[in-house]
Amino acid sequence: MANDVRPVSLKREGDGLKIEWADGVTTFATWRHLRASCPCAACTEDRAKPPDPFRVLTPQEVAAGPAAPVGIKTVGYYAYQIAWNDGHDTGIYTLEHLRKLGTPVTHGN
Amino acid sequence: MNPGMPQKLSLPGVKNVIAVASGKGGVGKSTVAANLALALRMSGQSVGLMDADIYGPSVPIMFGLGMVDPQTTPFPLEKYGVKLMSMGFMVDPNQAVIWRGPKVAQAVQAFLGQIDWGDLDFLVIDLPPGTGDAQLTLSQSAPLSGAVIVTTPQDVSLIDARKGVRMFQEVKVPVLGVIENMSYFVGDDGKRYNLFRAGGGQKLASEIGVPLLGEMPIDPRIAECGDTGEPMVRKYPDSPAAQAYLALARRVIATSATPAAAPLPEVQW
Repeated sequence: MANDVRPVSLKREGDGLKIEWADGVTTFATWRHLRASCPCAACTEDRAKPPDPFRVLTPQEVAAGPAAPVGIKTVGYYAYQIAWNDGHDTGIYTLEHLRKLGTPVTHGN
Repeated sequence: MNPGMPQKLSLPGVKNVIAVASGKGGVGKSTVAANLALALRMSGQSVGLMDADIYGPSVPIMFGLGMVDPQTTPFPLEKYGVKLMSMGFMVDPNQAVIWRGPKVAQAVQAFLGQIDWGDLDFLVIDLPPGTGDAQLTLSQSAPLSGAVIVTTPQDVSLIDARKGVRMFQEVKVPVLGVIENMSYFVGDDGKRYNLFRAGGGQKLASEIGVPLLGEMPIDPRIAECGDTGEPMVRKYPDSPAAQAYLALARRVIATSATPAAAPLPEVQW
């Protein structure tokens, strides 16, 4: 069952995260996509709101530039927590979530 | 870093961390945890027992201990060869711990990470009922080898035990098995009476595909032993309940011999 698939290795590659899974599938997700899909309560609530055309970027967001991680650590046996360059670090990405966010890549890519 | 976020703890000297959990309160988790810890000790293992029930700690009374001065007493305490840590050692039993969740998480993390547990074969963790802060903190921060689920036979207990199992499945902590507590009573006539119905523990174990680790009998002496500070398995080692706990310890040792949980790989930069 895909739900129980564990990662074998995770690599920072180019502008994203490449994950090799135990069932032989390799997925890739850009940092931008991962940051935009942060599962924390605050980000989930923000995404549920209609987009604000007048939203002003915070100075931290402007200084950070494109989304990039500054640290990734494991959470128990079930998730990874990503700390981002914009100072946000409350998202706990479960294995299922990471698998869904990634696009399968064929070997050799 | 947000103080509520999981801090990763490593317990290098501890071989197995076993959480004793249930969804429901009052099923005898603390009794099971205390007797299991002692039964493991009596089976030649080095054992610690951590009371993660911050609001309602039971380990002190079950081991005949009270409040100590944390300034002068090094933790963990030790009794009957088992290393012990509990909120009850630090707070007057007549005083309530009125804390919000993040403080509970901090206390649980401190018990795990800041106490010198030394080299242990087993660290048994007595969890509070439910699927809240203490459970989540442990699942995120502690290198849990597995969880055992305590239930009583009737459906009203099984409903919540299932939630406990579901939580451990979500956070991918292996459930080592189910313990059915208050399973039966042996009368003076030698007959076995199923006071709270029969077969509930087996039903839950079969449902989730794990072994039924034990059916613990009701014995009035269990309550007496708990209240007087010497767990049943030590005070009456020949009683059927104590024998059941010693058998449970053997099963837990056997189950733990094959590690069911492996840490996730770190990200390569």
